[in-house]
Amino acid sequence: MNLALLPRIRRPSALRLRRAVQWGALAAFLALLVAARRGGAPPSLANLPMRLDPLTALSHALAARVLLPGSALALLTLALALLFGRAWCGWLCPLGTLLDIVPSPRPAAQRAFPETWRRAKHFLWLTILAAALLGNLTLVVLDPLTLVIRTFGAALWPALERLVTAAERAAYALPLLHPAVEALDRLLRPAVFPVEAPLYRAPILYASVLAAILALNGLAPRFWCRYLCPLGGLLGLVSKVGLVRREVTAACTRCGACARVCPTGTVRPDRDYASDPAECTLCLECREACPHDAIRFPARPSPAPVAAYDPNRRTALAALGVAALGVALFRSDRFSRRSPLIRPPGARENHLEARCVRCGLCVRACPTGAIQPALLEGGLESLWTPVLVPRLGYCDYSCNACGQVCPVEAIPPLGLEEKRRAVLGRAYIDRNRCIPWADDRPCIVCEEMCPVPEKAIVLEEATVTDAAGQEVTLQRPRVVEERCIGCGICEYKCPVNGEAAIRVFAVEG
Amino acid sequence: MSPIDRREFLRYCALGLGMLVGGPVLTACRPRPSPTPAPPSPTPLPTSPPPVSPTPSPSPALSATPTVALEYPHLAVARGGEPEDLVRRAVEALGGMGRFVHPGDDVIIKPNICVAYHTYEYAATTNPWVVGALVRMCYEAGARRVRVMDHPFGGTPEEAYARSGIADQVRAAGGEMEAMARFKFKETEIPEGLDLRRCAIYEDVLKADVVINVPIAKHHSLARLTLGMKNLMGTIWDRPAMHRNLGQRLADLASRIRPALTVVDAVRILTAHGPTGGNLEDVRKLDTIIASPDIVAADAFAATLFGLRPKDLDYVRAGAAMGLGRADLENLRIAEV
Repeated sequence: MNLALLPRIRRPSALRLRRAVQWGALAAFLALLVAARRGGAPPSLANLPMRLDPLTALSHALAARVLLPGSALALLTLALALLFGRAWCGWLCPLGTLLDIVPSPRPAAQRAFPETWRRAKHFLWLTILAAALLGNLTLVVLDPLTLVIRTFGAALWPALERLVTAAERAAYALPLLHPAVEALDRLLRPAVFPVEAPLYRAPILYASVLAAILALNGLAPRFWCRYLCPLGGLLGLVSKVGLVRREVTAACTRCGACARVCPTGTVRPDRDYASDPAECTLCLECREACPHDAIRFPARPSPAPVAAYDPNRRTALAALGVAALGVALFRSDRFSRRSPLIRPPGARENHLEARCVRCGLCVRACPTGAIQPALLEGGLESLWTPVLVPRLGYCDYSCNACGQVCPVEAIPPLGLEEKRRAVLGRAYIDRNRCIPWADDRPCIVCEEMCPVPEKAIVLEEATVTDAAGQEVTLQRPRVVEERCIGCGICEYKCPVNGEAAIRVFAVEG
Repeated sequence: MSPIDRREFLRYCALGLGMLVGGPVLTACRPRPSPTPAPPSPTPLPTSPPPVSPTPSPSPALSATPTVALEYPHLAVARGGEPEDLVRRAVEALGGMGRFVHPGDDVIIKPNICVAYHTYEYAATTNPWVVGALVRMCYEAGARRVRVMDHPFGGTPEEAYARSGIADQVRAAGGEMEAMARFKFKETEIPEGLDLRRCAIYEDVLKADVVINVPIAKHHSLARLTLGMKNLMGTIWDRPAMHRNLGQRLADLASRIRPALTVVDAVRILTAHGPTGGNLEDVRKLDTIIASPDIVAADAFAATLFGLRPKDLDYVRAGAAMGLGRADLENLRIAEV
């Protein structure tokens, strides 16, 4: 081996290694998300990325007052931060990688933002934890992993499925292509896409939120990671005592190359090109750019110096105050007394609002699209918590995937038999619109579909005179209250146009 | 029209001619299916015992078939034994699978896998060994490809295929499970339909050389029973549209799909709370298989297992009235094996 060549190979390869790890982590993250659908990867593997997230694990523990053994994985990420600072952000975070892909203005065109803005992310995670202490988890929607899971699960992946289906349909018009389309379809379904794709509400909203975060890159590279990301803030604080950190040696000629390439803008020309480990993602771009090999990453056991934007007592108090006020406002919201939402099996009894980290894995796992992220129907506090929308999908009697995949047991991990007995709500028939009740025409679809072995919908025979004066014998459905589990398949399949003539409502409590 | 009817037509013509020419040349005259798909024929022809059908035969060529019909019973019923054995005995009594499946055929078997909720013991889905046996028999008769499919209404196809046990048995027999792709449901004319004139039907079911219909006999509150004709609802996209005037529309659909063979699985029957089931108290084990090329006759006979008369089922009445088959069980040659 030619030793003289080593340094030249070594430097770019470290950077390439980081990029390879980033792409690999993003690919693994998305693959696990795709496989999180029922019948894919084992649930404890599918929810592994979420369980690595210390911000959601910590806020869940505070809000639910429970320590879950499964959440101990998040300690790994904290340990990583203690060793390598915010390497999570630079090497592993799927949102960080997406932000690296999105173009940013060249260094010369970049505006300088006040360093104090960096405090915003600290304020955010402190507020999240303070609110969690008060039993509220609404702001966890800003966690980067939940953002990406929600956006891919309920917007981008279904949209991709639509594109693929449209392409398949177009190609299938040519008989010559039939074998190819069939082979492709067998490959894709059900492994990658569902055979019958669920629909989601407001997918463009989720896509827009992600697009906005990516668009902030137009102001500065990784704008989100520098100023806003609450997980980045939490990891940044830990990184203050991180072991491996960037150091500039005496070989530095103050050329400024490192400051120009730093994606988080933490290399400070006014401080001898030093950086803050709470902001450095160990991306190694500066090391690559340095013409004099003056940048090292040695282990330093002493804490990093305090920065002006570090969270202080005042930040913590402000966060606590804002959290308390916010939670009080939520408590004065009408939804705090009686929520009209139908929750996934077992979740209502489990006080889902104080446990759910809004990651949307259950939305992704649900094979029928029954579980949707809540919009405002349960108030802002419940935003993006899972809710059942029977007109879009039903709770499949053969499925208990949501409780299995939930990383924090907000939806309890019920066995299939237990889940079949879990009551989500109750169906009510609108006799003014139900076909045999209102129109004296036969229809038994709800009874036919009811999966309860004894049938929670029974048919009563009635002989009536219809609008045309004809005597007809009809079967009319009735709901047997104590048998109905509220799965919603009756509402989903009801052939009446618009709102169904049989609808499920959440049980009180 | 799909090529199958053309092929059936050709076979009956040839058989009839063969009988006229003389017995010794009969088997030699049975044509092999043509390697290229036959062009669509303008009018559909009844496939199964046409000579005695209530409506006059549309083609004079069919007048030669009574002699053929003498060979085979209209319907075979096998009772007592293991599912695979029952299927083999029943189909054998009809003349063997070679009567329906020819070398090189593309075969689709349509069992009832309506929900993903229960295993086969609950009698909501067709017995997996019955389906497996049919797959094997098709290959033994020389089929090129045998696919098994349904369009479940409760749960995903992959889950329903797995939980019913059918996926395992079909794969063991060398067949393929196909999840019905949405882009293959195609708006189709139903020329003989009296009420249902157009419908989105799974294209492959129309294009296959042979369709074998394998319902499980079970309770249904609107149709009373779901049997062969009701089972064909799994081949269309918009099922709710069928519910208005269900009996006639099922017969209309059957007139377009025309399965070559209907095998009613009554190994276990579901007597109440169908079609989903879930209660073993509603299940009766009869260890019976009914097989017939006549879907109306198969359904008519299956009705008697529940203590009903054929005419109690709207779709049996409609099917018989349209000349799709016969419901006059007392006049049919029934082989009990």
